[in-house]
Amino acid sequence: MRKLFITLGIIAAIIAVILSALPLFNVAIIPAIAALVFGFIAFYLSKKENESKKAVQLIFLLSIISLGLTTYKSIFNKTEVGDTKALELRVQEAEDNAIEELEGLDLSE
Amino acid sequence: MKRIFVLLLLTISATSLAQNNAFQAGEKLSFTASYNMSGLLTDLAEVRMETSEIKTSKSTLLRLKCTATTYSKWDNFFKIRDIYESYVNPKTLTPYLYQRDIDEGGHYKFVKYTFNHKTNTVKSLRRQKSKNFESGFWDRNDVVNINYGTKDLVTTIYHIRNLDIHKAPVGASDSFTVLFDNKERKVSFTLLGKETISTNIGSKECYKLAISINGSDILKGNNDNILWLTADANKIPVYAKFRVAVGNGELKIKSATGLKN
Repeated sequence: MRKLFITLGIIAAIIAVILSALPLFNVAIIPAIAALVFGFIAFYLSKKENESKKAVQLIFLLSIISLGLTTYKSIFNKTEVGDTKALELRVQEAEDNAIEELEGLDLSE
Repeated sequence: MKRIFVLLLLTISATSLAQNNAFQAGEKLSFTASYNMSGLLTDLAEVRMETSEIKTSKSTLLRLKCTATTYSKWDNFFKIRDIYESYVNPKTLTPYLYQRDIDEGGHYKFVKYTFNHKTNTVKSLRRQKSKNFESGFWDRNDVVNINYGTKDLVTTIYHIRNLDIHKAPVGASDSFTVLFDNKERKVSFTLLGKETISTNIGSKECYKLAISINGSDILKGNNDNILWLTADANKIPVYAKFRVAVGNGELKIKSATGLKN
């Protein structure tokens, strides 16, 4: 039982760390909270069975890292549009091509 | 005399129906597209809808342009730079030329539709990158037969804004034929009622419209794809919610300038 919760906790914590590093970082909250819950259960079971708590510490550490990273990113990351120079050029090009095409059309309905 | 009068009345009403009352050249709407995963929103891209006037030697047209740009945090993973645009008659919103120029994570596609409303045909050009051709592009030219009134995607979006929704009862539905990927598809809209929602441009009373595409499984669910248009003369699309295979998406208005009314 203890091992099951430790495994679940470590998996959830690793997923949380990976997600928090990706642009999809706010989704990392779900596995991070799950990891904390599993970690607490594993901690309680380890204490009851008098077993080592090293793995539990690892779960807490990873989930705290991911939560920290997510919080940091959600505060300081600005959602802004990247480089649009190429797009603006394409828009202008599209307009030029369109005008050329429209000149050759009979636009009466 | 009576006949002439009736004919005159019909012509006047027909032209007034065809008038564009909802928007003008110079209108700029910008939206944030986000992905919704169990309540956690992740902003994906900025969508802009802009109108401008285009002059050719013979006439003046309205350019309806929609662009989608991913936010910088996504650019290293999946960069999207899409242009969808349509050149239409400023009064009747009849499309003459439609261009779709998309660049999605390195996948490039260019589509051009030239409408001929006399013969009800569309000259289509589809261009994709290909190593098999010397030019580096694979061009496919086709002529597609369309029904009367078939529009392209961009024009349809703007056309909906021009409908007399205030006259429609709740539950009323209307459908439009849209040419997309060289196929005609029927897109239906049902008026679900009025709702006041708070948006970035203030609290707005809106028409709530459900969208469905017949014969296509892009949009999932029943009444899960909803568009909110402001219940005023501008009918600005302020909010849209849609369900696709990979989850839920949202489109929220960020700013609106150059409004007609």
